[in-house]
Amino acid sequence: MRPQDLITLAIRNLLRRKTRTVLTVLGVVIGTASIVIMMSLGLGMSRSMVELYKSFGSLTTVTVYSYGSEDSTKELTDETIAGFGRIPHVTGTSPVLNVDVQAKCGSAEGYLQLYGVTQDYLKQIELGSGTLPKPDQPELELIFGNMASRMFYKTNASGRFRADDTEEVTIDPVTDTIFYTFPEGSQTGSGSGNAAGSQQGKANAKKYMLQTVGMVKGSAEEYNEFSWGVYCDIDSLKTFLKKIYKKNLVPYPKTNKKGKPLSYYVYNEAYVFVDDMENVSAVQTRINDMGFQANSNMQWLEQSQQTMGMVQAVLGGIGAVSLLVAAIGIVNTMMMSIYERTREIGIMKVLGCDMNDIRNLFLVESGAIGFIGGAVGLALSWAVSFAINRLATGAGQAIIGMPSSDGISYIPMWLAGFAIVFAIAIGTIAGYIPAKRAMSLSPLAAIRNE
Amino acid sequence: MPDEKVPVIMVRDLKKIYKIGVNRVHALDGISFDVYKGEFLAIVGTSGSGKSTCLNMLAGLEHPTSGTISILGKRIDKMNEHELVGFRRKHVGFIFQSYNLIASMNAEENVAMPLVFRGTPKDQRVAAAHKYMKLIGILDQAKHMPGQMSGGQQQRVGIARALVIDPDIIFADEPTGNLDSGTTAEVLALMRKIVTEQHKTLIMVTHDSSIAAAADRQIRIVDGRITEIIEAGRHSDEDK
Repeated sequence: MRPQDLITLAIRNLLRRKTRTVLTVLGVVIGTASIVIMMSLGLGMSRSMVELYKSFGSLTTVTVYSYGSEDSTKELTDETIAGFGRIPHVTGTSPVLNVDVQAKCGSAEGYLQLYGVTQDYLKQIELGSGTLPKPDQPELELIFGNMASRMFYKTNASGRFRADDTEEVTIDPVTDTIFYTFPEGSQTGSGSGNAAGSQQGKANAKKYMLQTVGMVKGSAEEYNEFSWGVYCDIDSLKTFLKKIYKKNLVPYPKTNKKGKPLSYYVYNEAYVFVDDMENVSAVQTRINDMGFQANSNMQWLEQSQQTMGMVQAVLGGIGAVSLLVAAIGIVNTMMMSIYERTREIGIMKVLGCDMNDIRNLFLVESGAIGFIGGAVGLALSWAVSFAINRLATGAGQAIIGMPSSDGISYIPMWLAGFAIVFAIAIGTIAGYIPAKRAMSLSPLAAIRNE
Repeated sequence: MPDEKVPVIMVRDLKKIYKIGVNRVHALDGISFDVYKGEFLAIVGTSGSGKSTCLNMLAGLEHPTSGTISILGKRIDKMNEHELVGFRRKHVGFIFQSYNLIASMNAEENVAMPLVFRGTPKDQRVAAAHKYMKLIGILDQAKHMPGQMSGGQQQRVGIARALVIDPDIIFADEPTGNLDSGTTAEVLALMRKIVTEQHKTLIMVTHDSSIAAAADRQIRIVDGRITEIIEAGRHSDEDK
């Protein structure tokens, strides 16, 4: 039998008993839709979660901490950080040289965190405008966080913040002139002029005018991990700070046993960048083994994903039950159909229809029920998914507390394809036993005279 | 009457025993006969004589308990069900008592159906169906559904369906059993025409001696044994 004849015959047979076919298909529609919708909810939640974690910081970054370590081998120095760079899958590293600065722009003032980081780090920042600071420059070039300008407040004549002031301060760091004051620093060592500076007080500390070359992407309301900071190239910052603090290197240097400031940089934090999310855990373990505290957003995400995986399995299971019921419906329909068509099947056998063709005819019929049910079920799922996302955009955010800009129900293409293939498979499997039975029916039934 | 004595079907010592409970019923108790090419053979017998069992085994619908059946030189008693279906598809046409047309298909599609099983393309199927429907004289009903046709018309569709694959042998199981006497005569004349003009071998089972008389040769079966072979014009008794 030619395939097109087989399909034509199967469809004609289905159309002969429209009501029953429609009801059976309806079962598959409901089964498919429930699986797809349930899984789409699980996937949507999982996607929202990944996005949530991404907004906290890159998922491929490991943060290494070392606060006040007594053991000098566990200090985060340029040397140890270079060691992290040699771990497999690490694409870059960056120490963080962190300085609190006071910034003044016209009558507005604010305290900002200035981060000296490497080019590896700077490359991760998505810029809204401008360019990245060039490496190792004699002058400091800054990138401003998109929310950092909200740190500025109007001050009154005496330099105090006006607590009652609700006036919005709008500063464009790129065009407005901002003066920065660096901290006086600690009085260790023999840094010349430090004692004098201390006596003069903060008001007379030297002000520096620094150039802002770029802005982090996003409006003043859109948070991301770079929103609040001000970033610059670490080598440029080192050069710059040496001019102020001389041998101290930094405002508050760590001292050796003799009370002298160290002659090298010791950092509290460093970042290690990994090539892929998959490898983050391995890299983090390596760093922990080296004796440093490290954590990553990936670590939390993985834990949440395990939980989420269970939720998805439960949701999918609930959906699967209804598809199982639909499969039983298909078996029932096909069985009924065989009893009704016993004579017809017998005639076909007497007239020389191959037994495999008879089996295939029934498989195509039940497969077609699966296919139609799957396709309609998928269409229904899209409609329901759209409705859920529409209704839940506001409510979902409040209840689940996740950014749901993409909706809580998500049907990726693979799920759509899977749903159709799965429905056809269920239909065909459900049709297998009836088809086998039809194949082995005796042709004698056909010639038995009534 | 066939002049060339080429046996198309050879049956030797055919037995069929049904077990009903503890009883063994001998439906056929060792029959032997030959059928020749281009012959119109009638197997006659009362209800329960074993004539239908005989036809079923010739058509490969039932397996014999013992004995051999050779059709066109092939031992069909040794074939499995797959092979038997394939054999029927290639060589055998079948005419049923109750016509057995597929109710959801029109006359033309019913006639063309055996060709569907052969994998013949649609245009060739329709052409073949039209050819034989014209021969039978029902081409004007090509688009009618079985429910819209009389018994005689339906049986003509059934005959056209048996012919459409150009078979070597046609089996007819009480082909006039559901027809009135006028139509019976027409159908018998048609079958005679097929044998004479199309040179087919036709084996018909009937309980009615007067209908069997239309055949070239009659084999009478009583209680699973051949009691009498009547050739048209001649008469011979066989006491076994």
